[in-house]
Amino acid sequence: MPRRKLSEYRAKQIITKALGIPYEGWPIHLPSRDRDSAKIPQDDRRYVIKVDQAIKGRFKKGLVILDVKRNAIATSIKKLAGSGYEYFIVEPFVTHESGAERYISMAQTREGATLSYSDKGGVDIESNPGSVTTVKLDNVLNYQALSRETAIEETALRALIGVFTAPDNHLTFMEINPYFVADGTITVLDSAIEVDDAGQYFTTTWKGEDIRDSAILTKQEQVIHELDKKSASSFSLSVLNPNGAIFLLLSGGGASVAIADEVYNKGLGKMLANYGEYSGNPPLHEAYKYASQVLDLIIASRAPKKILFIGGAVANFTDVAATFAGVINALNEKAKQLQKQNLTVYVRRGGPNQEEGLKNMTACLKSLGIYGGVYDPSTSIPDALDKALKEFTS
Amino acid sequence: MITIAKLRSMKNIQVISLGSHAGIIQSILDHDYLVGKKRPSITTIVANGRKQERYFWGESEIIIPVVPNLEKLSQEERDACQAIVNFQSARRVLSSIEQALEVLPNVKVATIFAEQTPERHSLELLNLAKSRDVLLVGPSSVGLLVPGVMKLGAIGGTQHARITDAGIITAGDTAVVSTSGGIVNELIHTVTSSGLGVSFALALGGDRYPLTSPAEAMLLAEADPATKRIVYFGELGGDDEYKIAELQRAGKLKKDIVAYIAGSVAELFETPPQFGHAKALAGNQDESASAKKAILKKSGTIVCNSFGDVAKNLRKYGGRFEPSEQTIGPRRRSLIVSHISGDRSGETQLLGDALLATIESQSIASLVLSLLLGQHVQSKRAIEFTDYVLRLLVDHGPYVSGAVNTIVAARAGKDLVSSLSAGLLTIGPRFGGAINAAAGNWLDGVKNEKTAAEFTESFARIGQAIPGIGHKKYRIDSPDPRVSALRKFAKNKNSDRYLVFALSVADVTTAKKDNLILNVDGVIAAIMLDILESELGYTEQQLSTLVDIEFFNALFVLSRSVGFTSHYLDQRRHDEGLLRLSSDDVRYIG
Repeated sequence: MPRRKLSEYRAKQIITKALGIPYEGWPIHLPSRDRDSAKIPQDDRRYVIKVDQAIKGRFKKGLVILDVKRNAIATSIKKLAGSGYEYFIVEPFVTHESGAERYISMAQTREGATLSYSDKGGVDIESNPGSVTTVKLDNVLNYQALSRETAIEETALRALIGVFTAPDNHLTFMEINPYFVADGTITVLDSAIEVDDAGQYFTTTWKGEDIRDSAILTKQEQVIHELDKKSASSFSLSVLNPNGAIFLLLSGGGASVAIADEVYNKGLGKMLANYGEYSGNPPLHEAYKYASQVLDLIIASRAPKKILFIGGAVANFTDVAATFAGVINALNEKAKQLQKQNLTVYVRRGGPNQEEGLKNMTACLKSLGIYGGVYDPSTSIPDALDKALKEFTS
Repeated sequence: MITIAKLRSMKNIQVISLGSHAGIIQSILDHDYLVGKKRPSITTIVANGRKQERYFWGESEIIIPVVPNLEKLSQEERDACQAIVNFQSARRVLSSIEQALEVLPNVKVATIFAEQTPERHSLELLNLAKSRDVLLVGPSSVGLLVPGVMKLGAIGGTQHARITDAGIITAGDTAVVSTSGGIVNELIHTVTSSGLGVSFALALGGDRYPLTSPAEAMLLAEADPATKRIVYFGELGGDDEYKIAELQRAGKLKKDIVAYIAGSVAELFETPPQFGHAKALAGNQDESASAKKAILKKSGTIVCNSFGDVAKNLRKYGGRFEPSEQTIGPRRRSLIVSHISGDRSGETQLLGDALLATIESQSIASLVLSLLLGQHVQSKRAIEFTDYVLRLLVDHGPYVSGAVNTIVAARAGKDLVSSLSAGLLTIGPRFGGAINAAAGNWLDGVKNEKTAAEFTESFARIGQAIPGIGHKKYRIDSPDPRVSALRKFAKNKNSDRYLVFALSVADVTTAKKDNLILNVDGVIAAIMLDILESELGYTEQQLSTLVDIEFFNALFVLSRSVGFTSHYLDQRRHDEGLLRLSSDDVRYIG
């Protein structure tokens, strides 16, 4: 149920529809760039081009290009695409006075939904927390007063709140910052929506393809991302430092963070090459696929000396022998390349069929000449990790 | 308000599993067995497909019944259920729990296994938990463990050797609370290997809105007289630890809390990737692991900087916990499970009693009906009816197709079993097999409250004869004497609803054609249904199962085997020659 950001394009469509105002904007996806761009009218207007990939502080990062003529849109996109981005949005360029900028947002919390607003909107809203008022979106909400305070006409305000609170929309956060109201007309300049991705099955307001990830995924991350989407088990992989020396092939959401923490606590955080985990008893071939990606990261790293730490806590129901069989297949397949890496592998794991899993893993690592140590639950996670990290600390 | 002490008092707790997860259910049974329970806590599995699942109880095998939905449970079974383990998919979590709490009035605790339950659904479940006073654990939780009393989920391991290893057969005095399922197990091991034991263990689940929040879990532990201290694993993200600190400052949490808050590593990154669970993404600085650690430390929590510190801190309590080392020996899945008969201590048994003792006290009809139903039948009416049916169906002349085939085979020189088989193989939809079909139809008509006219029309529409209706020879003014004889067994007018229905159908059909009377097959089916229901307490679901497995045809097959065998012996005794049809018997259309 992670909260994910929708594309700015979809967010604006949802918000302007609720407010009952027209919206002009064109989404552009790199592979279909030419077809997407053709929809933008050939006129004398000026346009703004933004990377639409859920990235904070786009202005500061140079991911927004303002005041672009129609015939210069293609080259601007090409420029932004050079940094590895693939989703863009083109909108007409609108100017306004910055003093009139307002802020409104809604958030879902355990206690219910809340609405915050301020008449000092804009990019610096966070440095103006005193100007923000927060109210609960409950039955006693005074819409008239809120309409006055936010300068949004009551019917539009009700519709906006309605979209956010509708149970089947699965929105968790909605923000319009800034907007301004002139002559009774509201103009939305920037907006964002976060959704609960677990709600995808139930909603028609947004689709899975509207979700944007801020990171530009590496090849290995992309593979794991796809694997996670298709599998009944769960997988994650983040490359932290492509030339790192400490590699993790872990199981379990909690144990994996605790293990990454230990590395960080020992002051070796900068050497950490990756973070990730698999859980939910994946079948052998999925464990193989996951392990293969981590091994590819090891092979690609330029660090002179490397360790791989495999394992996790004492599993409740993940079959250690079966998942390790997948890992062993990947190790054997890449044996030749791994043997050139000055790599030592440490393992600590418990759970169903641990004896068989650990025995097979020991045999594999020894035959490949990359054995560092294999431990069962009688050695604690920190003790096993200590032994692995001694490669760097002593 | 549900308390751990209250849960602990439910020594004979009855649990229903929504959805099936063989490995986890087995581990629940293993816990129950290892702690010395007399019977498994899981009484029923609600799942599609099979009617039962086989599990081990210690070293031997047992059966857990499976029903397709909760509506199939009797009121007694519904009332007895106190806990739920939910293995439904994330999409069905909300609806399945809502429905279960509606149908099962005495449920006090439920654990939810699925990952990816929508937040909004969790929020709705939160309201439900409050209004119904039910302890909901999860979603994405491996469950709740109260050693010796209940293991609701994978928590503590799924292999019996691991359960013994973990030291959770014996109750201790340290509560384990964790947002992570893997870590809860690791912490259980850390607690027991530090000389302490587990009073209860709770995997809250890593979702944004765990239905039991960390602070609520702490209050459960605080209120539990058997808990002396708490080990807690939390993560970056969310503000739960602030609430715990607040409770400590307010003096509402006095027991020692040894805590590890994971996620310091996120501080390496300006925009950290998603570490661990859904909740584990710090929205702002206040939700970081280090901020939470600082606030907890200030309010008196024993905060561990490394996972290794957890064990160090626990060892300071100087515990001398000695867990039971009870184990389960090797076990092997049987190829065949039988409820009918088998050997026990070298003695052959029928339906749980010694063979000889059973047959001496029972008539053949009583034995047949008991064996066919797989249970001892005491009802006099049921046995007498069976006896009459078995006698009635024994033979109906050498003209009927089954007898003809037996005779043809016998005269061709085939042996007894082959000839008998030839006759038996003839039994089907048009010969002898109508009792079962009639039973299925009467059951369907009564269950769906069809009128006789509707029922008849549904057959007319597809141009099919109604099984159990119609006879070549007998008609309304020359009734079948066997039908009149059988109807003597239908005395209990109030509960003869299947016979009443069958007769109302015959009223409609005989109005159309006078030979469309209720025939022998139809009347046997109707009366047998009525007897099974009123005398033996069969439910509609159980009756429908009997139709599925062809119980009703079994009566005909058994009885008529005597007739076929007699025809075989008769033909052989008189050495009739090979039967061959003459060309007069066959008309060739070339």
